[in-house]
Amino acid sequence: MAKHETPLLDQLEGGPWPSFVSDLKAQAETKPEVWDILGQLELSYKDRITHWKHGGIVGVFGYGGGIVGRYSDVPEQFPGVEHFHTIRVAQPASKYYSTENLRKLCDLWEKHGSGVTNMHGSTGDIILLGTRTENLEPFFWDLTHEMGQDLGGSGSNLRSPACCLGLSRCEWSCYDTQDACYHLTLHYQDEIHRPAFPYKFKFKFSGCANDCVAAIARADVSVIGTWKDKIRIDQAAVKEYIAGNYPSNGGSHAGRDWGPFDIKKEVLDLCPTECMWMEGDELKIDDAECTRCMHCINVMPRALRPGAEQGATILVGAKAPILEGAQMSTLMVPFMKVSKDNEYEELIDFIEKIWDWWMEVGKNRERVGESMQRVGLPTFIKVMDLEPIPQMIKEPRCNPYVFWAEEEVEGGFERDIDEFRARHAA
Amino acid sequence: MALSVDELKAKIVEKAEKSPKPQLYIKDFYACDPDAKPRQIKNVANELVREGKLMFWSSGSTTMYAAPHRIQNEEKKK
Repeated sequence: MAKHETPLLDQLEGGPWPSFVSDLKAQAETKPEVWDILGQLELSYKDRITHWKHGGIVGVFGYGGGIVGRYSDVPEQFPGVEHFHTIRVAQPASKYYSTENLRKLCDLWEKHGSGVTNMHGSTGDIILLGTRTENLEPFFWDLTHEMGQDLGGSGSNLRSPACCLGLSRCEWSCYDTQDACYHLTLHYQDEIHRPAFPYKFKFKFSGCANDCVAAIARADVSVIGTWKDKIRIDQAAVKEYIAGNYPSNGGSHAGRDWGPFDIKKEVLDLCPTECMWMEGDELKIDDAECTRCMHCINVMPRALRPGAEQGATILVGAKAPILEGAQMSTLMVPFMKVSKDNEYEELIDFIEKIWDWWMEVGKNRERVGESMQRVGLPTFIKVMDLEPIPQMIKEPRCNPYVFWAEEEVEGGFERDIDEFRARHAA
Repeated sequence: MALSVDELKAKIVEKAEKSPKPQLYIKDFYACDPDAKPRQIKNVANELVREGKLMFWSSGSTTMYAAPHRIQNEEKKK
């Protein structure tokens, strides 16, 4: 029987979609404290203000991350959520689980917590919602000793690295994203578990420009697979697509009749750099102009493949805050060999050069992308010992954070503008 | 690093005890030894946490350091 009246929340159970309210009511049958989540949330809807206090001092011994303290500011009314801490558990690479592992984890959470989970948080961790302070150490012991799993990152730490399916299931992956993610997770255990930075720091690994973990939109260092040489073309397969014998996009749009495949309309005209054309029945690509966007490969996967000389593009500075909207990361290194043979040495050197600078220069609660904007791209490029290249800016003369030094401008800042304009119209 | 580890520990603890704010960012401790690398300051601060002389406070997105008795009093007031 319901412990609290929840008329506002009950409205969220209407409609055809699944409702977290229904889920919480079901969970409350075995975990009575869950009624108090519903009760407190109903009160928040009425008062139009959160009733969670901000942060806390909870954690497990030796770790400065992985636990987020949550306390109710109305514990007399809702004693079940007086303490309702969140635990972040590091996810396996690409989120491959066995059902046995998931059952064990859920049993453990039923034993030590509310049983409420969020699979997964936006960084990728398994989120376990709601436990009391005295349950944290016993849970942590069981998680690490019985299940061999670990907490993820939170606070001003390196957050749990995340990757796409990579070579495990995807023929387009240009490097082993899972191995890179696993290797760097182990390499940076100290940075994940103990706060070191002015603010959070994330890296994510995508095997190709389809970017299935959205690294470019939210990771401070986005490692996105690419290739250096030419797209590999099977001209016989191109002909099969044109003849309608192979379904475009691997058949993913097969639920509706879109008419016969039109290579000009669906591939050539949609190429962002217009670097493709047909010569007779042969597909031609000017690879020097190709931006490796993956569109043509997505449409004709049996005819086109990424080139054979593979690695990754490294971009820096994305963030996806709720209030301000996302900032995409900026390209820094167009091509880097990302290889387990040298234990990702080049990538690790690059990441640590960013950290050395950002730990010194970054303001409190400033993501590295914000530090880059504040100091300007040319300064950041110098810090990273990189040469400026056209790909680093969106287009000439439009980038908001490139500043010219006086000595870089012919005639300096004091030259006669009228004389200059007589020769160069605005 | 101009100071020894023990000297740096003492400076960090003093700062955590005397600072007007009970919670401090890791960067607030950089001034304890301007010659030390940020990573060295972080390592010493974390050692102090393990010794029970400092404590973490986290909002979930940011982590700060504090003297245990000061932050525990602050938490009680909330």
